[in-house]
Amino acid sequence: MIFRAVEDADLIQRAARGNVEAYNLLVSRWEKRVYNYLLRITGNREDALDLTQDVFLKAYQNLRKLAEPARFAPWLYRIAHNEAYSMFRKRRPEADVEELEPRGAETAVAVGGSSVFPLELSLTVAGALGRLSADQREAVVLKIYQGFKFEEMAEILECPVSTVKSRLYAALDLLKAELAPLETRGA
Amino acid sequence: MNCSPFDLRDFLLRELTPPQQRQVEEHVETCESCRQELDRLRLTQTALSCLADEEIPQRIAFVSDQVFEPSAWRRAWAVFWGSGGKLVFASAAMLSIALVVSPMIRPKPIAPAPAATVISDAEIRQRVEAGVTRAVTDVEAQYRSRTEQLVKDLEQRDASERRLLQASYEDSYERLRRRYERVQLAQYNAGEER
Repeated sequence: MIFRAVEDADLIQRAARGNVEAYNLLVSRWEKRVYNYLLRITGNREDALDLTQDVFLKAYQNLRKLAEPARFAPWLYRIAHNEAYSMFRKRRPEADVEELEPRGAETAVAVGGSSVFPLELSLTVAGALGRLSADQREAVVLKIYQGFKFEEMAEILECPVSTVKSRLYAALDLLKAELAPLETRGA
Repeated sequence: MNCSPFDLRDFLLRELTPPQQRQVEEHVETCESCRQELDRLRLTQTALSCLADEEIPQRIAFVSDQVFEPSAWRRAWAVFWGSGGKLVFASAAMLSIALVVSPMIRPKPIAPAPAATVISDAEIRQRVEAGVTRAVTDVEAQYRSRTEQLVKDLEQRDASERRLLQASYEDSYERLRRRYERVQLAQYNAGEER
């Protein structure tokens, strides 16, 4: 008997032909990551779960349009980004895109942090992330928590790589100013 | 400010090439301010990592229900009808009907009447021309009428097929939506009981 790891690309091709089981397997591989991405940019578990379901439904409906299966991850996150911002706009139709901020306190997300670290640190980090602008926070989430490359982030956010880098590095400088002295003193 | 040959944030995020990474490593060995800056960046990264990913509260799965999906024949018909096949089919149907109908409606040759009187050649030519013109006009009118009827029938058939498909999709969507709401409600009630 030969065991072979089933690649995402295989599952994508099968799902695009209407194989729902293949799509469910693909969903099970990505749902936690997409949920956590949405949770960190919306700051609300209920919204994040609803949006995750919408994202995977939309992805299934548009899977045939995905030209390169290798680009599945940025393509999926692009849908997630659009769905989240579409929700923000519906709730605050009069606001500019730049002003769109997630509803709910980021501290709620921090409570679910790892038990390896003290709760105070989780709260401090969540507070620091919450003080970033929405664009900066999303850049941190995509790079630090989701591990995307700059080119992929540019594809997800539909902006130049230079903009992505500038947002991320500005965010890192702010976080460093807030978190590194705290850690130094605590050490 | 630091004097590193490359951005320390690029170094931290491993965005540099291996030789560039090595250059930065060598530099921070000897530069105190860059080493402190890098330490702060690493502390920031470590602090950020304390927010671990959460488990998704509810798994997501999709269900394929054959009952609500159009039959294979209907899917094939939709594909055919939605493509250029519609025009080809309509043209072929019209041509076939025209070929069958044409011999049936062709006017029978009129038996020559006994020549009771003497008629001039010019009058004969005129009568023949008039007869031919009338026959051609009649045949053309019949063809036009039948073609119009065929096109009308085909359009009606197309519209009714589309209506059927639309109704089928709407029905499937509505059933799925109701089922999804029932499942959501059951999960919510189960959560309330807990």
